[in-house]
Order: sequence, then C-alpha cells, then structure tokens
Amino acid sequence: MKVPVSWLREYVDFSWRLEELARRLVFTSTEVDRIVRRGVPDTGDNLKHFVVGRVLEAGKHPNADKLQLTKVDVGEAEPRSIVCGAWNFGAGATVAVVVPGGVMPGGEFTIEKRKLRGEVSDGMILSERELELGQDHGGIMLLSDELEPGTPLADVVPVGDDILELETLNNRPDLTSIYGIAREVAVLTGGELRPMPGTEPERVADEPLDIRIEDLERCPRYIGRLFGDVQVGDSPAWLKARIVGAGMRPISNVVDITNYVMLALGSPLHAFDYERLAEGRIVVRRATQGEALETLDGTARELDPEDLVIADGERPIAIGGVMGGANTEVGESTTSVLLEAANFEPLTVLRSGERHHMRTESQTRWEKGVDPELAGAAATYASQLLAELAGGRWSGEAEVRADVHAPANIAFRPAYTEAVLGLEVAEAEQRERLEQLGFDVSADWQVTVPTWRARDVRREIDVVEEVARFRLEDVPLTLPRRQAMFGRLKHEQRLRRGIEDVLVGAGFYEAYTYSLQPSDPDPSAIELPVPLSSQQRLLRTTLAVGLLSAARHNVDSGNERIRLFEVAHVYLPQQGGVPREPWRLGGILQGDFFAAKGAVEAVFSALQVEPRFERARPIEQATVGATVQSGWVAQYGPLGLDGEWSAFELELDELFMLVPERVLYRDVVSYPPLRLDLAFVVDEGVPAGELAAAIREAAGEELQAVRFLSDYRGDQIPDGKKSIAFAVAFQSAQRTLSDEDGARLRNVVVEALGSRFDASLRA
Amino acid sequence: MDSVAAMSLDDANWTAYEAGARAAIDAALSDAELDAARVAWLGRKSELVQALRGVRDRESGMLLNGVRGRLETAVAERETALQQLLWEAAADSGVDVTIPGLPVERGRLHLLTQIRREIEDVFLGMGYEVWDGNEVATVWENFDALTSDPGHPSRSINDTFYIDSDTVLRTHTSPDQIRAMLARTPPLYMVSPGRCYRRDTPDATHSPIFLQVECLAVDRGITLADLQGTVLQFFRALFGEDREVRMRTSFFPFTEPSVEFDVTCFICSGRGCATCKRSGWIEMGGAGWVDPDVFRNVDLDPDEWQGFAFGFGIERIAMLRHGLPDLRAFWENDLRVLGQF
Repeated sequence: MKVPVSWLREYVDFSWRLEELARRLVFTSTEVDRIVRRGVPDTGDNLKHFVVGRVLEAGKHPNADKLQLTKVDVGEAEPRSIVCGAWNFGAGATVAVVVPGGVMPGGEFTIEKRKLRGEVSDGMILSERELELGQDHGGIMLLSDELEPGTPLADVVPVGDDILELETLNNRPDLTSIYGIAREVAVLTGGELRPMPGTEPERVADEPLDIRIEDLERCPRYIGRLFGDVQVGDSPAWLKARIVGAGMRPISNVVDITNYVMLALGSPLHAFDYERLAEGRIVVRRATQGEALETLDGTARELDPEDLVIADGERPIAIGGVMGGANTEVGESTTSVLLEAANFEPLTVLRSGERHHMRTESQTRWEKGVDPELAGAAATYASQLLAELAGGRWSGEAEVRADVHAPANIAFRPAYTEAVLGLEVAEAEQRERLEQLGFDVSADWQVTVPTWRARDVRREIDVVEEVARFRLEDVPLTLPRRQAMFGRLKHEQRLRRGIEDVLVGAGFYEAYTYSLQPSDPDPSAIELPVPLSSQQRLLRTTLAVGLLSAARHNVDSGNERIRLFEVAHVYLPQQGGVPREPWRLGGILQGDFFAAKGAVEAVFSALQVEPRFERARPIEQATVGATVQSGWVAQYGPLGLDGEWSAFELELDELFMLVPERVLYRDVVSYPPLRLDLAFVVDEGVPAGELAAAIREAAGEELQAVRFLSDYRGDQIPDGKKSIAFAVAFQSAQRTLSDEDGARLRNVVVEALGSRFDASLRA
Repeated sequence: MDSVAAMSLDDANWTAYEAGARAAIDAALSDAELDAARVAWLGRKSELVQALRGVRDRESGMLLNGVRGRLETAVAERETALQQLLWEAAADSGVDVTIPGLPVERGRLHLLTQIRREIEDVFLGMGYEVWDGNEVATVWENFDALTSDPGHPSRSINDTFYIDSDTVLRTHTSPDQIRAMLARTPPLYMVSPGRCYRRDTPDATHSPIFLQVECLAVDRGITLADLQGTVLQFFRALFGEDREVRMRTSFFPFTEPSVEFDVTCFICSGRGCATCKRSGWIEMGGAGWVDPDVFRNVDLDPDEWQGFAFGFGIERIAMLRHGLPDLRAFWENDLRVLGQF
C-alpha cells in the first residue's frame, strides 16, 4: 500500500517525524518498505522555485516553428522570457512555472537559464506529467485565473508528497486503506483521528432501481446508486496527485472517484454507464456455462459457473470484485452512472482471479475480507465526490443485503496478555489501547470487536495480540524454565552424520540434487499432476538420476576426479496415504566397479557391518553390478562421458538395523597371530567371496582375518580354472598357537573348500 | 677377563680405559656406531661394568662410578652432536619443505549441510531434539491443522505442489509441529530441518525446492519473552556474541501473536550496509506464540500447554554469511563451488 503522507494527515494529526513513524509502525502494525518522494523534491528551498505565472505575451519563436516564445509574470519586478514547446495556451493564461535553480521531480535535473535557438529561456512552463500529476502530455497545465502571479505553486497544486510504502498483511484488510492506516497511526502516536470522510449530497429524485442478489453468501451486500447529469472529464490536480501517489493511474473523474474512495476507505467501488444496462437492472448471480465477457482490460473471457458476475437484464457486465466489463464502461459520452458499493466474499474473488489470471487493486482488498459496513460509507463518500467533481445528481438508490451478524463479544482476561508476552501490562493501558483501536470494552472486560476487525479478531488470544503488538519492543529476553531436558541426536541421525564424514574423508563431495526429476526408473514413481516444468515432474524413487546429472554438470564444467554423494529422501508410493520416505545414501564416481565397491565397503566398515555382495543387475545401465545388504553398487555402461563411471545406493535405515548395538573386545594382544597365505585352484564360476565366507565358517573362532590377495589365471592353472589367494590369520586369546595348530587349521580349511567347491590347494 | 683381573687394574689403567672409550664414542658417526661403542665400553659385559660388580671398597667404587658417569655424559653429548650433524647433512642436501606433501584425498560436506549441522548443534546444546519429517504432507498437516484459512492464497495450486486433493509437497516445515505434537507428550522441544516446496520460478533468490528449519517449544508457561531469548541465543551462536534481535508484528495462521524477527547485521554491526539495506537489521524469519487452536487440533489443552514456534531458511543464512549471490548454485553441485566451503 502506497500512502501519500498529505492524505494520511488529512485523517490524523501527528507530530512525529516520518522516519520515526515508519520505524514504529514496523513493530506494531506492518512492514514499511521505504519512504519515497513523489513529484518535486522538498530539499532545501527547492519548492520556492515553483510558482504561479501569468503569460503576458506569447508568440511563435522567431527561429523555430514548433516553439513558442513567451513573457511570463512570476510576481517579480520584470517578467521572465520563457521558451515553451506547447501550444495549448496563449497570452493571459495562468500557468505553473519553475525558475532556474529548481530541481525537477526525480531529483536528477536542475532547471537552468539557457538559450534556445537564439532566445533566452529563463525558466520552464510545466505540464502535469512533468510534476508527476498524471500521464497527460498534451500540453502545459492551466491553472485558475484567480491566482496571483508569484504564489507558491505548492499552495495551489500538490507538487510533491512523501509516500510511505507499506506491506499489507493478510489478516489486516483494514490496512488497505488510508483511513485504516490513519487509525493505526492515531493509536501509535496519540494523535487525533478525524471522523471518516463523506457527507451525503442532496438526493434530487427517487427513481426506482431493480437489484437482485441470487447468491447472498458470495455477495452479502449490494448498494446501487443512480446519478444523472454526470459530466465525465479530467479529475482535478489534487485528486490526480493522490491517485498517482497511491500507485494508480488517473483515468477520468468518475473512475478516479471510485478508485479514490477505495484507497481512502478500503471498500472497492465500480461505476457502470447506466444507459447501457439492459433493462436497467442489476442481478448478482453465478455465470452460466458458455457466457463470456470482455473485461475493461480488453480481454475476452470465458466465464465459469463458479464465477460470480454482476449482470444486467441480459448479460454479465462485471466479474464480481475483480473487474468490470467493456460493455458498460463509463466513457466521455456517459451521462448517467450506476455506482456499485458492494461486498464480496474473499474466496469467490480469489478463485475468479486465479481462474482468469487477473490481479487488480480491488481483488487484493476483497481477498483479505472487506468489512461489509464500509460499503455504506464508501457509497456516501463517492456520492459526495460525484456531485462535487462530476456534477452528478443523485437520483435513486436500492440496497440488498444479507442478515447482519452481531459483532463478536469476547470475554477477555488482561492477565492473559501478560502470560503471553512475559511482560507486565497495566490493565488501564490494555483498556485504553483496545478502545483506541475501536473495541468496546465493558467494565467486566467483555470486548466487542469493531466491524472492520471482525474477521481477524474472534477469540481471546486475538484480542491479546491487539494489545501485545504495541509492546513488542519491551518484551524481555528469557529462556524457558525447563523441567526436562533431552537434547541429543537419535542413533540413526548420529550414524548418518558418521557416514557422511566417512565419505568426505574418502574424497567425496556432498551434493544436493532435486527431489523432483524428469525421469525415474520406477514406472510407479509419483507424478505431479501440475509440475512447474517437465524437468521436475516425478518424485524420485532413487538418488541415482539426480546424481548422474550432477556428475554430467561437473564434467561439462571441466571438473576432474568427480566423486559425489548425497544423503536424502526418496519417495516410494504406498497403497493409500502418503508415500514412504526412507533416507538413502547415493554415490557416483569416476572409476570402475571396484572403486565404488571400495567406498561402500568403507561405509560398512565404519558401521561395523560385514558387507555381502552378490552379483546382480541392480540398474538397467549396469555392466557390472552387485547387491549388498540394503542396496547396490554398479558400474555404468556407456554414458557419453569420458572414462568409467560407477554408482551405489544404500537404504540407510535398513542398513542401520544391521549395526551391532555394541562391539565386544577381543584379545588380539596377549598372544601373537599365526599367518598363512593360502591359494586355491577352483572353477571359474566360484566367487572369491564365497570362498572367504567358507574359510571363516570352517576355521571357527580362532580365525582372526581373511584378506583377499589375488585372482590369477595363466601358467600352471588349467583352462576353466583360476587361482584365488588369501592371507589368513589365526589367533587365540588363550595361548600362542603352535605350528601343529597351524597345520590343523590349514587342513580344516583345505578340506572344507575341497568338499564344497572342489578346490585344491595350490602348491 | 675375570673380575679378579679387573679388580687388579689400577688407576692408570682406568684412565687409559676412559680415554679409549671417549675416543670410540666421539668417533661414532651414526646411532648404530654410537650404540656399539656404548655396549663395548659401558654395556653389561664391558670391563668397566664387570669391574664395578666386583668392587668391595668405597674408593674403587667412587673411581669406577666416576668413570661410568663421565662416559655416560659423553654418550649423551655425542648423541646430541650426531642429531646436529644429521640435520646439517639434510639441510645441505637441499630438501625443499615448501613442496606439497603426499596428497590425502578429501571431499567436502555441502555448505547447506555444514550450516544445518551447526544449527542442529546449537539447538541440541539448548536441549532440543532433532526431528526428521516427511516432505510429503497431508493437506491437514500442512494447512488445516495449522489453522490456515481455506481461502489463504498459499493453498492455491499456483503456490503449492499438490499430489492429489489431500496431499501436497510440504510448503514449510511447520507440519512437523503437528506431527511432533501428535507423536510426543509435552514438554516438547524440537527443531526440524528439511526440504520444502513452493511453486516459485527459479531465480537468484527463489527455488521451488528449499530448506527450512522449524523450531517448536511446548511446555508450561512459555511466553514470547522465551521466544525472543531463544532466538537471541541462537543467532548469537550463529553470527557472534554481540548480535541483538527484535520482534515485529506479523501474521501467520498458526501463531497468535505472530512476529517476524530480525538480527543486527553481522556485516556492519548495525551501522547500515548493502547487506542489511542500510537498516542495520536483517530479516531472519517468522515466529510466534502457538495458536491455542493448533493445540486443540492435536488434542492438547491450551490452558495447560503453551508454546512458541519459529522458522527460517538455511539458504538465506548461507548466502548472507558467505556472500553467495545466487541460490541456484546450491543445487548445481559444481565441485569448484562445493570445494570452497
């Protein structure tokens, strides 16, 4: 909301500096984005350079066909010679002049005395646009001839204004109006709030007007007023200045008046050209299938049966609360106007706006929930202005409204405020604050909520906030007085951090990839019905897709030695309800299967879990692959990337189930280990892992470690066979193992592998 | 020689013995040579030690112990001298210590993880638990239970990713308030970091996927002062001990009163700079006193239990603290960027 400060001061007296007001409003009411200046800068004595002038002589510039050369009396001893490019005036005109030294709006440009085509120009005659009073560039601005030359321009035209730019919170529809903000400023500064503007003009006739509301829930109130003899034209400068200052565009006096009253009071209005209403009737109803309306922005719109429309006897003439139709637009030829002051339900307006991709000033107000009582005040004020500024004669009125809800009455305990804030707030202060805000407070603390806050303030806690927000700066800094403490990471959270650290130590960089991916290997992956882009349409069931594109991005960036991992959720569809979201660890690296497997083994080792790999094809693109408890590891086939690439993925909660609760000490110190290197000749198809497992099983508890040494084919090994060598260590906690023990254990192992795998010990 | 013979050696002989030993010690050019000399002249089987074993009179004892003491000193001195010789020899050979060491490969935690852990640790220190919440939420968890108005624009399909009419990708971490209160009996102090989703077109400061942290305290007698004090502790831990915080009025459906909190700018310490837009304050997030209706929605009695909640973005903290201009960098995973932190 842009608030011209001169406008604000019309409704509330305050002596605070603007910066201080802005600083305090931020705490109590709403965010203040900034204070800006519209129009002529008010720095130093700049305003003195802007004065009323009377044109004494005007004629063609001797050296330029498109320029006028004038003599202008600006209240000084001698008139000034001024060259001007506009032709909409002549001698005798009263105009706005800036003399050399004046800084123009925007603050960038200072007027200087200079020669134009050989003639001195000792100032400049101003147009509305140059003063930021409107878009009209047709000519210079003409002022009332009653004004004396030399009168400060600021006394007769709003040459400039300070603008407070405020955010509007969704729960504060009352702060979408200057008057509502004035009320807040009055409470904050202690300044006096003037009565709401608007007095009824004389009503000259009682023409009948037919208004019907078919959906009182969506439109609980509709006031229609008729005006005759309306003269559509330009708004006066002061009105334009305020409309511009508030961020809107002046259009014509009638339209500007509806906008002005909306800005002033917060209840949007609309004006129809009454003569163009079929049957002169207003029907507020839902659109019917197939109806269409060209709105004021020139767009033809297909209406939806959910849209609330204002219709005449035949057709829609506005989308309720959103925008009027071109078919009843007020234009230069309009002489009779139907003024609409209504009330629309937020959700209806919100949905219509979404449906038609529209965003209007009125919509943003209706969406927050406008006080239905404001419609009457808005009708009054707009009627006054239509009479004063457009010659309108009020000739008829009709109103339809739903039953009035009694204002909410809330039992309030002042002590509750203190319990919420952790700060003492005197009862008298609480009462005064509420009354200033328009609440009625009875002696026994029954609080009646003003209509303009009825939506937001419904419960005792809402009343507390009204008091509390004026004391936020005073709230002390304390910590909860705790009776129980339980700050610790859960087991799996600690393990997650642990494996992240292991991978970082192993040279991996942690990646964050999108949960939404363009593709997923699982055809049942959940697809967003309305994705933001085709690149983010599926909820991933694996981390591999995102990691692969992260790897690609790094290759494209020229990075080398790429090793990435991610710890994140995947989203596995379940029958009924929300998906399951297990934590996964995924990794990708430049290297072969065994490089990836090494990383997985490091993770398992850190968790004290013995991994068991089995040959498998866990992903479609795998050339080499294996499953391991809770996941997989694989080498990719060709990816269009240089070198070999491998990946792995583990489901962490499943893996963490395998982590031993505690590790028991084994005595590996008291007696020395007995080490043997054993090589076995076996069939090609026998996996080394199974041999190692069999050694472990056969040797029993004296086995301390089995380490794979080599995998050999060639000389001395028959075709179809291979030699697998292990370094085996035996150790006892009770005694030193003797050479006889060594021979016995070796025999046990050799026999076991011989009978299970037809393995023979290689000499 | 036997001990008797050794005993017969006179003073002069021991003088010669000492001279011989000293010569051997000083001639040693390595640890091994020095050790050999020590064993030969001072070891268990040396003449000197053998002779000492046979000593019966005080005078001989003093003589031989004197010899042993001086020779031990000589060994120690030679040891020091040898270290100096070795150092000089190495220096002469021109070892360049500024050449890098053998590489030990290491990766990096993502900056957002580093900050997330830092945040978690601060709250763990204040006695909070860390909650892991699912990112897919029911409309009830994400909106209804948090008393969000059915007409609130955040519910619109233009703002929220719906999976179906009852299910969304959570738009904030606040549904974890609901889940935690349903899963636990108060007192409850929890912090919940995680991914959230909104239909924002990606640019330098928006991403459809982003990370938030939710903080919730539910106990008896919790006040806004407790909220402010907790926020202060947190930001001091994160941004330095001389930070200050303030609360401003705001609106969120699930807190009443609602506030936004700011922290004094840690770049300019409140004097005003580009980071804080000359205000001296940096907006950090939203907070408030838990709305009694939220407690009712999870079957807690608001007369017995009170609470505060606050939430903020992790990316924002990372960008502010490390000067990153564009949050898309967090999701590009470029090693050149990840490797900086």
